[in-house]
Amino acid sequence: MNPKHRTRGTALTAALAALLIAATGCSSKADGDSTSDGADGVKSGPGVTDKAIKLGALTDLTGPYATLGKSIVQAQQMWADETNAKGGICGRKVEIVVKDHGYDVQKAVTAYADISPDVVALPQVIGSPVVAALLDDIERDHLLTYPQAWAASLLGKDSVQVMATTYDLDMIAAVDFLTRTKGLAKGDTIGHVYFEGDYGANALQGSTWAAKKAGLKVSGQKIKATDTDLSAQVTALKKDGVKAILISAGPAQTASLVGVAASRGLRVPVVSSAPGFAPQLMKTPAAPALSAMLNIVSGAPAVSADIPGVKTMVASYTKKYPASPVDSGALSGYSAAQLLGADLKKACESGSLAREDVVKAHRSQKSVDTGLGSPQNFSDVGRPAALSTYVLKPDAKAAGGVVGVEDAHQAPGVEEYLTSKS
Amino acid sequence: MTTLLDTLLNGLALGAVYALVALGFVVIFKASGVLNFAHGSLLLLGGYLVAVLHDDLGFAGALAVAVLTTAAVAGALDRLLLQRGDPDPKAAHVQTIVTIGVDIILVTDLSRRIGGDLLTLGDPWGDAVTGLGPVTVADSRLAAIVVSTVVIAGVFALFRFTPWGLSLRAAAEDVEAAALMGVRLSRVRMLAWCLAGALAALAAVFLAAFPAPGLERTTGQIALKAFPAAILGGMASPPGALAGSLLIGLTEALVAGYQSELHVLGEGFGDVAPYAVMVVVLLVRPTGLFGAKGAVRV
Repeated sequence: MNPKHRTRGTALTAALAALLIAATGCSSKADGDSTSDGADGVKSGPGVTDKAIKLGALTDLTGPYATLGKSIVQAQQMWADETNAKGGICGRKVEIVVKDHGYDVQKAVTAYADISPDVVALPQVIGSPVVAALLDDIERDHLLTYPQAWAASLLGKDSVQVMATTYDLDMIAAVDFLTRTKGLAKGDTIGHVYFEGDYGANALQGSTWAAKKAGLKVSGQKIKATDTDLSAQVTALKKDGVKAILISAGPAQTASLVGVAASRGLRVPVVSSAPGFAPQLMKTPAAPALSAMLNIVSGAPAVSADIPGVKTMVASYTKKYPASPVDSGALSGYSAAQLLGADLKKACESGSLAREDVVKAHRSQKSVDTGLGSPQNFSDVGRPAALSTYVLKPDAKAAGGVVGVEDAHQAPGVEEYLTSKS
Repeated sequence: MTTLLDTLLNGLALGAVYALVALGFVVIFKASGVLNFAHGSLLLLGGYLVAVLHDDLGFAGALAVAVLTTAAVAGALDRLLLQRGDPDPKAAHVQTIVTIGVDIILVTDLSRRIGGDLLTLGDPWGDAVTGLGPVTVADSRLAAIVVSTVVIAGVFALFRFTPWGLSLRAAAEDVEAAALMGVRLSRVRMLAWCLAGALAALAAVFLAAFPAPGLERTTGQIALKAFPAAILGGMASPPGALAGSLLIGLTEALVAGYQSELHVLGEGFGDVAPYAVMVVVLLVRPTGLFGAKGAVRV
C-alpha cells in the first residue's frame, strides 16, 4: 500500500468513526429515556421543559399540498396562541416547530431526524407516503402523531392517530347515501374511480364491501395523479351503464370526471372522498355540473356548518388571517391541535409529559369532544376514532366551498364491516 | 360499438394534443441533437401566462403574448445557456443534462406561483361538446385536432420549403459541411428552439382546456407522455411525431376505456402501455416509424 492510499484509508476510517459517533449521538438523543421530574413534580421528557412544550409539524409549504399545509400551519399556530393566552398547558407555553418537506419523502425523513429529538408530539404530518416512511420511527420514538391521511392501513399503530373516519368507512356511507336518497337498487352498477396507492385501495375496499351488501356491482377505474382528462374512464363507465359514480382521487380528477360525464349525458350522482374536492373547483368550467351532481363524504363537518365550535374557529381564523380562505385544511389542522391539547392535559393530570405517557394518556380517552365534529374514541388502536360520516355538497358561496347535506351519522353495516375485517 | 367509436375518437383527440408537444421535442432534437427535458416546464410557463393574462388581454391576446414569451424564453435558453458551452455538436448530451437543471428551476418557481390552484385559461370552447352521430367529443379537442394538423403541416412546409428549413436539414445531416457552406448554425438552432417554445405554449392551452379541469402545477409532467410518441415516431421526423402521438393517444384511451377487460394484464397497465407500444415499435423498426436509416460506410 503506498502512502497516498494509506492517507485515504485513514481519512475513510476517521469519517466512518465520525459518522458512527454522530449516529449513536442521535439515537441516544432520540431515545426518549431521558426523562426527569420538573419543578412542579410533573415528569418531563424530550420536548418538555419547565417552561415549554415543544410540538413538531412536518408539512408541505412548497410542494403539491402547499395550500393545505399553509392552512394547517396557520390554524395550529392560532391554537397555540390561544392556548398560551389562557396560560398554556400544564403551566407551560406551547410551541410548534414547523418543517417544510415539500412532499418529498427524503426531505421529510431528514426533517424528522432533525426535530424528533426535541419535540413531544407531532400535531401535523402531511402526505401518505411521508407517514408510511416514518411509521416505524414514530412507533419507536413513541411520538404521538396526527397525520393528515385517512387510510385504514395507518390504524393499529399506538403512536399514530388517524382523525375521525377512514376512507373505507366514508365510502360505505357514500353507498348508503346513494341507495337511500338517489334510488339505487339491487342489480345496479356503480363506478368507482380511484387513485393507485393506499388512499384509493382503502376507499375501494369500503365501496366493494358496501356494494356487495346492497346487491350492487362495482366497476372500478384505477387512475393516477397525473391523469387529469378522464374522458376514457367516463366512456368505460357509460358502457358499464353505471347509475352512480364514486371517486377517491384529487380535486382535478373530480372536476374532469364530473365535467366530462355531464357533457356526455351521463348525469348520474357522483360522491367523492374528502380529499377529492377543493373550493377552487367552483371556479372551473365544471362548476355548474359539480353543483348539480356532486356530493362529498367526510368524517369532518363542512367549514360552514352550524356547529358552535366550528363557527368560533372560523371567526377567529378569518380575523387572524383575513387574506387566507378558511378551508377544510384549517378545520382539520385546528381539530388535530385541539385533540392533542386534550391529550397533553390528560397526561399532565396523570403526572407525566414523557412521550410514552402522552401516548398512554391519549389511548385512555374514550370520548373526546372538541366541539368540532363527532366525538372520537382513541382507546381501540385498531378501530377508526369515529364511525360517523357527514355528507356535504359544493356551494361556491359558502365558506370552504361546501355546505352540509346530512349530519354525521353512522351508516348501517359499518360495525359489521369492522368486525369482518378484524 | 358506440363505446369503441367514442374511445377511438377521444384517443385521436388526445393524440392530437400530444402531437403538439412531441413536435416540439422533434424540432429541437433535429436542430441541436438535444433532448429537451425542460419542455414540460416551458409548457407550464406558456399555460401559466395565458392563465394570468386572459382576464386583462382576452384569450387571444393572452395566447399571443404567451406564445411569443415562451418562444423567446426557449430561444434565450438555447442562445445564452446551451450554446455558450462546448461548441462541439457532439456535446449535445451535456446540453441535454443542462435542460434537466433548467427544468427543475422553472418548475420550482412556477409551482410556487401556482400552488394548489387550478387555473382556468379562459378558452372559448368551455365545456361544450359536439355530437358526431352516436358519439360526442369536446369542442376543445376538435380544435386541438384542427390546430395540430395545421401546425404540423406548417412545420413540415417550413422544413421543406424555406431557406431556414433547408439550413436546418443541412445542419442535421452534417454540421461541419453545413457550417462550411455558410449556414449560421447558432441562428438556425435558436429559431428551432423558439418554434418549439411556441408549440409548447400552444399545447398547454389544449392540455388545460376541458375535459381537463384547468392548469395545475403538474400539467407540465404530461409532456413526458409525448416522449415515447416522439421516440417511436423516429425522433427527427415531424410526420413521425404525429403518427407516434396518435398511436400513444389511442393506446391510452383504449387501455383506460377497456380497463376491466384488460384486467388479466394486471392493475395499472395503462401507465406502462405507451412504453410497451414504444418498445414493440422499436423492436420492429429500431429507428422508429419514420426514422432515417443511419447509413454506415464500411
